[in-house]
Amino acid sequence: MNRHTPSLRALRVASPTPSPGATPAARRSRFRGVPGKVRPFVLPLLLLALFEWYARRAAALGSDALAPPSAAAKAFVGAAMDGSLWQATGFTLGTAALGLLLGAVLGIALGLVLGLSRRAAQLGSVSIEVLRPVPSVALIPLAMLGFGFGVRMELAIVAFATFWPLLVLVQSAVQQVEPRLLEVSRVLGLSSRERAFKIVLPAIVPRLFVALRLGVAVALVVAVTVEIAANPNGMGYAMMIAQQSFDPALMLAWLGWIGVVGFAVNAGMVRLQAWVARRMGVQP
Amino acid sequence: MIAAPAPVTARAALSASAFRSPTVPTMQATPFLCFDGVTIRLGGREILSPTSFDVARGEFVCIVGPSGCGKTTLLRAASGLVSASAGEVRRNGAKMTEPSREVAFVFQDYGRALLPWRTVEGNVSLALEAAGVPAAERAPRIADVLAKVGLAKHAHKFPVQLSGGMQQRAQIARCLAQKPDLMMMDEPFGALDALTRQSLQDELARLVRDDGLTVLFVTHDLEEAIYLGDRVIALQANPGPGRPSLARMIDVKIPRPRDQLTTKEHPEYLHLRRELFAFIEQGHE
Amino acid sequence: MNNHRNDRFGLGWLGSVGMLLALVALWWVASNAGWVSRVFLPTPQATFASLLEGLNLSSGNSGNGELLAFTQATVGRMVEGWLLASLFGVLLGAAIGVSPQVRAWVQPTLEFIRPLPASALLPLAISIFGLNPGMVLFVVAFGAMWPVLLATVHGFAAVEPRLSEVARCLQMSRAAYTWKMGLPNAMPDILAGMRLALTIALVVAVVGEMIASQNGLGQAILLAARAFRASDLFAGIVLLGLIGFVSNALLALAEQRLLRWQRP
Repeated sequence: MNRHTPSLRALRVASPTPSPGATPAARRSRFRGVPGKVRPFVLPLLLLALFEWYARRAAALGSDALAPPSAAAKAFVGAAMDGSLWQATGFTLGTAALGLLLGAVLGIALGLVLGLSRRAAQLGSVSIEVLRPVPSVALIPLAMLGFGFGVRMELAIVAFATFWPLLVLVQSAVQQVEPRLLEVSRVLGLSSRERAFKIVLPAIVPRLFVALRLGVAVALVVAVTVEIAANPNGMGYAMMIAQQSFDPALMLAWLGWIGVVGFAVNAGMVRLQAWVARRMGVQP
Repeated sequence: MIAAPAPVTARAALSASAFRSPTVPTMQATPFLCFDGVTIRLGGREILSPTSFDVARGEFVCIVGPSGCGKTTLLRAASGLVSASAGEVRRNGAKMTEPSREVAFVFQDYGRALLPWRTVEGNVSLALEAAGVPAAERAPRIADVLAKVGLAKHAHKFPVQLSGGMQQRAQIARCLAQKPDLMMMDEPFGALDALTRQSLQDELARLVRDDGLTVLFVTHDLEEAIYLGDRVIALQANPGPGRPSLARMIDVKIPRPRDQLTTKEHPEYLHLRRELFAFIEQGHE
Repeated sequence: MNNHRNDRFGLGWLGSVGMLLALVALWWVASNAGWVSRVFLPTPQATFASLLEGLNLSSGNSGNGELLAFTQATVGRMVEGWLLASLFGVLLGAAIGVSPQVRAWVQPTLEFIRPLPASALLPLAISIFGLNPGMVLFVVAFGAMWPVLLATVHGFAAVEPRLSEVARCLQMSRAAYTWKMGLPNAMPDILAGMRLALTIALVVAVVGEMIASQNGLGQAILLAARAFRASDLFAGIVLLGLIGFVSNALLALAEQRLLRWQRP
């Protein structure tokens, strides 16, 4: 289905390299001077050094818009020590996880239904095409209105944002289950429930985890975005407050930390997804 | 006419009589293509032991052998896609190190060697563009070469719309557009069904004769090798230390033009077939 | 048999639209009957009225046409930023992707930037540029650039090796190779990246408007929520959904045309 392949292609584009930081052996051999493990860090360190020099100069000239990475590192340690780092990080990760849970459960359930029943898929197609393009951020004021500030508001937006990709990908995965297996289930006289749980669900597990990987990425991005836009909790908000209090060092510390957390979570999901694919006998 | 190789190099065993067979045009003083002790090592293994032989202009040489004997590697070395670890390949006396437009290469996986986003016309045009042919001259040359391979009616189709045989013809058309004097073909018909293969063999023989091309043709199909070639070179895999990869060189003294029915009943054909099969079987023991 | 199949298709589409109408009917009942407070869920008719007013389409002269201006502002920001992002993304991506050496050094850094939310750059941009439309445009363009850049690098890196050999056999120059093989080969990936970039551009434009108080739909719906004007809020959401739908549909059409060669 053309409608679904774009998301799948976007998925392919969005997939990070299997082992972050590693480089293929063929290229490694050309740079015998620089070992493969070190190379990923050369460019970032160079950029950080450049930034350090530039920010120091700017600060000396009286600008308070930027801070050198060294100051940001100090601010980071400070936040870690006084607990604000962990509290905000915990909020963001926890809310994102809850939102993802809700969105994924609903998305997978509906995806299964629409994937298994042609008629249901047809019935739902126009509604999905109308509701899906609504950007999740457009619902922030609505969620604010309905839930006030806090966990529920952010959770709702994350759930909305993660519901759609999971719905589409699971529906597509179910529709692509080996038809031979479905014929086997008919011959064996399995009930609908048995068919869903014993044949369809295990068959879609590898692609389900690919969808979950995307869902995790979306959940984290949306959570941080909601915090930046409105919600006075979490990492995004901490970064905004730092900027508004003219504390560029702390702001940059948060920016870097958000990057690191996002990277680590995604890398973890990639490993998990690859492991699942191997266990389920699929080429990762 | 089967030249048994001497223990050192096969070249010493090449007698002049092998070249004076009626099927091969008059030979020139320096051989057109010369393999001189070509050795190829990859990843620590010796894929091809020192191999030497000459090819005359206009000759159709088929290379056969079991998998792993290095026949594809030999071809790639001859076209400059891979460099020899020792020895050299000389074309018209000059050493070949890099690919050149005058040496066309026809790949086995034709689907992957065609640009999927260009039509048949566009793919053939690529060769002309690379050679710097001005736009005005391209159209007639493309039409001409497509007519030669019988794809004139499909010029505006994309590769994905063509059958396997047609895609391979499109690739051959692009190679012909290079106006090469040497054509390397790596099992070009291996992925096609038997009927398509037969008709393409005949088309190829005709094209080669019309344009006077020199061809190096790798195949695993012994019958195809005898049917098409003026000479068949048999390589062996893992010859052992100090022994050459090149095990046998056979002249094919069957008159041209050849055809699928009568040639395959020709006594010389049957004789060569038996010899080659026996040799290959022997190699497998 | 043909008739039967045609019928099925027509009926299916009709049924699907019917489903949507059923949902709208549910909305109508829920809001009019007060199942959900009208503070949070305005009635469809109120939403529609707000839309008409805001777009200056209503019969009376009560409309102020604000929504139209806001829509234009948001769409303008989104499209401008997206165009810039696509241009620079493709140029930089091609420059990086065409050389395996450059890729080897740069790719790990790119992989680190990939998961970063584009909106996270807003505080930094505010710090540097202040609260003005240029700042929002910068973040939109910068944030939307990365999917295009990454897609382009991937597209150039994944050229079919056989085609690279053909290029060598034809002795194609580096420039010819990039333009005739690298770029077309990367086109499917680039288009997918541009699709993603469009959604990011819309999101960042809206968030930017919200926090930088810039004229646009983002600010409009925020203010509407704060003033408890639910119908205006919903009107804004409908418009944003429409923008998302239309922009995506247009791009999908363009993709279909440009990638004709993929389908037999």
